[in-house]
Amino acid sequence: MKFWINGTPSLTLRLTLSIGAGISLLLLSFGWLIERSINNHFVDQDVDELNAARKSIESTIELVAAGESIEFLKNRFSSAISGHHNAEFLVADTNGTVIYATPGGNLTRLLTDIPPTRVIDDNTVSLWTSNGQTYRSAVFEAISPTSQIQSPLKIALATEIDFHLHYLESFHAYLRWLTILACLIAIVTTWLAVHQGHAPIRRISRQINAITSEQLHLRLETQGVPSELMPLAAAFNNMIDRLEDGFQRLSNFSGDIAHELRTPITNLMTQTQVALSKARTATEYREILYSGLEEYERMTKMVSDMLFLAKADNQLIEPELTDIYLVNELLELADFFEAWSEARQVAIVVAGNKEITVTADRAMLRRALSNLISNAVRYTPAGNSVQAVVQTDKDGVTVSITNPGPTIPPEHLGHLFKRFYRPDPSRRRNGEGAGLGLAIVKSIVQAHGGKIKATSTNGVTVFQIRFNTVDPHPYQHTTD
Amino acid sequence: MKLLVVEDELKTGEYLRQGLIESGFLVDLVHTGLDGHHRALTEHYDLIVLDVMLPDVDGWRIVQALRDAQSSTPVLFLTARDSVEDRVKGLELGADDYLVKPFVFSELLARVRTLLRRGNATLAQEQIQIANLILDIPRRRAIRGNVRINLTNKEFALLELLVRRQGEVLPRSLIASQVWDMNFDSDTNVIDVAVRRLRAKIDDAFEPKLIHTVRGMGYMLDIPEQQKP
Repeated sequence: MKFWINGTPSLTLRLTLSIGAGISLLLLSFGWLIERSINNHFVDQDVDELNAARKSIESTIELVAAGESIEFLKNRFSSAISGHHNAEFLVADTNGTVIYATPGGNLTRLLTDIPPTRVIDDNTVSLWTSNGQTYRSAVFEAISPTSQIQSPLKIALATEIDFHLHYLESFHAYLRWLTILACLIAIVTTWLAVHQGHAPIRRISRQINAITSEQLHLRLETQGVPSELMPLAAAFNNMIDRLEDGFQRLSNFSGDIAHELRTPITNLMTQTQVALSKARTATEYREILYSGLEEYERMTKMVSDMLFLAKADNQLIEPELTDIYLVNELLELADFFEAWSEARQVAIVVAGNKEITVTADRAMLRRALSNLISNAVRYTPAGNSVQAVVQTDKDGVTVSITNPGPTIPPEHLGHLFKRFYRPDPSRRRNGEGAGLGLAIVKSIVQAHGGKIKATSTNGVTVFQIRFNTVDPHPYQHTTD
Repeated sequence: MKLLVVEDELKTGEYLRQGLIESGFLVDLVHTGLDGHHRALTEHYDLIVLDVMLPDVDGWRIVQALRDAQSSTPVLFLTARDSVEDRVKGLELGADDYLVKPFVFSELLARVRTLLRRGNATLAQEQIQIANLILDIPRRRAIRGNVRINLTNKEFALLELLVRRQGEVLPRSLIASQVWDMNFDSDTNVIDVAVRRLRAKIDDAFEPKLIHTVRGMGYMLDIPEQQKP
């Protein structure tokens, strides 16, 4: 596992470091607190000890009668603190002359080292070392009971605390090792937890890696995925859904293109090869060239239609928007188709308020409407008419192209706007285009943020384009 | 009329030259932008047909150099990309018209002729006569052999277009664009029907036949060769 990639620490490293540092800090402060409280406890104990000793010494002094000899006083002192074996003390007069000192003790220097205090407590006791031993110590004064000794008496009191210090020292060492060990355990545990926690992510990555363009049907297993990763897995699956759909359409489209182009190319090749197989008259050659030309024209139109659709798919079409009077536009188209529709004995009737406008690209809108009108005329029986109606309401504008004619079965209706879709396969190659007309209409309408739908019931087919006034599409709006 | 064709695609260039020569033009063909640049600036041409996607000096620079040199030679550019930017760029730089590849040759020819005519402004003729057909433009009337012929507005516009461009083959797309302002390929044979109807009124009862179908290319109005004075 890599902990550092391109200057970025891995998640595991980051989490391990931060959690480890947190736990270590916690343990260290915990240890410090324990040590401190034990130390305080010892200090309290020592202070109690010293105060008890002081009390004994003071009561001893109080019992002394004024006329007692110094020797007698010494005797009294020697038994004064018999219960406190850790404590030792030294009594001196104001001049520093030692009157009594606990045997074996060496507290003379203490008198000069620290100042006398009135009370003995945590704040006034001092640490004092002598001969390699450490004492908790205090100096206090008392009124001399006898005139033989100059008042006040100075009493140095100390209790040896080496065994406390030793205990603290070993406890400190023990605590340190314990802390280090605990930190290590914490870090390793964190690392394991983080690593383990990322296992579902690694599993998902493996699954994602298995999805190639040939394997787009694969999906991430959402079972057993932790709830935090569910949205990710679901989002990824949705993305694959869309990709698969797009891919499928693309590959269908390419397949259709190949198929649609293969037919005219085969025709051209066969025709040319047959023509070349023997000598022919100039007229015959001309005929062949003409026939070829027709194929070329059909292919050119197909290619430019497909290019248009490909651009529409990739949002490369940018309508040049102007305000267009829809009724006027339909009238011009009716005029354009007049000769042709009249020859088929079909009338084109335009109706609607002349003031209704839509903001659109004129050439594109014309192309879309012309496709719809020519389609409608083509399927209308002679003697009938095609209705082109513009309507408006508070939400937008609707253009409906209605024609009587064979009802389109519902199963075909949804596919009408698909590329190369022809409900009737027999109509394939009789000069009616490649089946891209309605797909182009849909692309154009969508590029303008509109919607198109087709309905067909009881021998009446309606294509309806809808432009909404309030539209999320960025470069389109309608007015009425 | 002398034309310069700058086209790096050898086959396309050759066919363009042949087609234009056969249509009665003198044609110089060069295959590189550098040659084109040089020729355009040093020699006189009535029109330049320019491919903008050239490997060395691109077409835009030639147009620019030409306009910088205060030359008003019409330029028709050919582009494979029918993007709006391309179109706008070309026209802004001073080109006069454009065609998107692949184009139909008759379309190119029609546009070349339009551009050449633009230079020497056609007189606003009141009347045009071809054989025994008389077009009274201001009154929008057509008379054939002393017979007044009733034409609809669009039929008159179509006839006027054919008459004004007498002897030129007009492709269907150009007719749709000029007469009806429809700039797209319709899946229908609407132009054929319209011409057929016009022909029924103008030609059917009269001699000589003036409107001719040029197969694979379009329509043309002219006096048949053998009848020409």
